[in-house]
Amino acid sequence: MSFTSFQFLWVFPLFVLFYNLVTQKYRAILLLITSYLFYLNMQPVLFIMLLIVTALTYFSAHYITHQDDDDKRVLGLRIGVVCTLLPLLFFKYFNFLANTLVTGLQLIGLEIHPITTNFVLPIGISFYTFMAIGYLVDVFNEEVEFEPNYISVSLFLSFFPYILSGPIERAGNMFEQFKNLKRSTWNGLVSGLKLMLWGYFMKLCIADRLALYNDLIFTSIPNRSGSTLAIASLLYPIQVYADLGGYTLIVMGISKCLGIKIIPNFNRPFLATSISEFWRRWHISLIKWLTDYIFTPLSFTLRSWKLWGIITALMLTFFISGIWHGASFCFIFWGLMQGALLSFEAYTNPKRNKFEEKYHLRHKGAYNFICILFVYFVFAFTEIWDKEGVTWNETMLILHKIFHEWGTPYLILSKFLYASIAFIPLLFSELRNEYKPERFLFFDHKNIFIRWTSYLIILFMILTIGVLNSSQFIYFQF
Amino acid sequence: MVKQTKTSYKSSLSKNNMERESIIKKLQSIIAKVVKLENVKLTEESTANDVKGWDSLSHIAIIAQIEESFDIKFKLRELAKLKKVGSIIDLIIKKQN
Repeated sequence: MSFTSFQFLWVFPLFVLFYNLVTQKYRAILLLITSYLFYLNMQPVLFIMLLIVTALTYFSAHYITHQDDDDKRVLGLRIGVVCTLLPLLFFKYFNFLANTLVTGLQLIGLEIHPITTNFVLPIGISFYTFMAIGYLVDVFNEEVEFEPNYISVSLFLSFFPYILSGPIERAGNMFEQFKNLKRSTWNGLVSGLKLMLWGYFMKLCIADRLALYNDLIFTSIPNRSGSTLAIASLLYPIQVYADLGGYTLIVMGISKCLGIKIIPNFNRPFLATSISEFWRRWHISLIKWLTDYIFTPLSFTLRSWKLWGIITALMLTFFISGIWHGASFCFIFWGLMQGALLSFEAYTNPKRNKFEEKYHLRHKGAYNFICILFVYFVFAFTEIWDKEGVTWNETMLILHKIFHEWGTPYLILSKFLYASIAFIPLLFSELRNEYKPERFLFFDHKNIFIRWTSYLIILFMILTIGVLNSSQFIYFQF
Repeated sequence: MVKQTKTSYKSSLSKNNMERESIIKKLQSIIAKVVKLENVKLTEESTANDVKGWDSLSHIAIIAQIEESFDIKFKLRELAKLKKVGSIIDLIIKKQN
């Protein structure tokens, strides 16, 4: 059951009603049963993987906590992390690793038949595995206490709003809330529904509108001109943002209706004035996870290498980020490019700071606008390698066409017109929240007439401009 | 006797405050040097968000510089607890003693 399905739209209010009717004691178990049913409804067979990872996480954390000897704690953490990772490694990377090995052996003259498995990737495995590892490391570092309640741990890893595509939540944030599940409040319901409305608007009116054009172009690359591919590549980051950003708002909204607070995933990324700032605003839960559990330990271990330690840690972190996105050389290259760009910024940042201070550039609109455009273009360029289903050869063809076969752009004006109309409220909201957060409020205006007019306009846009028969969210494939 | 204890308590308190002030000054110059800013003003409540350029990339360079300047070694586990300048000062004092 997708959040954009009509089935969800009538089941969810009934669930909220039922959730509020049961006593506090049974709310966690109700959420867990609902989460498991939600998962079983989408993928019954691989549900077992979720149960296995949950059990591994619970007993590893139990072992780490109850050991006095530091060596045994380290061993418990290592075994726990490796075992939790194994299902993800197998389902997501087995074919890629086996085929890379076979190709390598064929290059040196050994004839081996390719080995492939036909397993489907368990939905949400990348997300619940990362959350499980985060919890184990936090228990080891004594930042989070071991949670003795098995239901809380199970719910943390399977909570239905975020299990499919994140945000990658933290045990420290969730356990406290699961222990004290209160009835929905009027304010919680109102702000939750507002978040959901805006999330559906982003997903259905912008992401899915742009997908109609982009999917058409990226599934017929050889037949497209360079200019068409350049337009689709420039629109793609907005599509991804509206897709995952919209999804996150729906998740936050659903949770808020149940009185649960979920961490946000985006903070107006396209208004970032540097690549490093962009990565502090884009897919925040993943980047924060990578920073805390990969970059910081690595850069701390390599700190005696000074700048080279930071560069090595950055490259390895984004290499892992690339692999997390998918098992292909395109994703690995995409990750390494991000690492290289951030390393370049880390090297030049002190000089840039001095330059901006000397010429008082930080608050100059024109300078910031140029920086914002530059960051957007760089990110859009790197995203050419970050598309599921587009092969390495196809990305090379895209680049070749953009730089050598410009041609005439293929434009579907009706589709662009609808997406552009929907883009205006999004752009307005992003600029308002960034520069004048207290002014020009619509959803939060004190005048009830303005508030309700805004809700109805957005609802009307969803019903008229929105693509209501779309299949799923981009990040489900991870 | 009680008066004497009170006086020694007060003097140790002021000594402690002086020590913290001198550490904060040293931290200001370390951070300014790493993020290449001319002036960095810190209080015990300051966090990385209050200083332009103090992000996760420069954080490790700042930690390495603190270790070198105060001749101490941090553990990875301690890093997560350093949420504000006051907690960095606490840890430096703990390590020096």
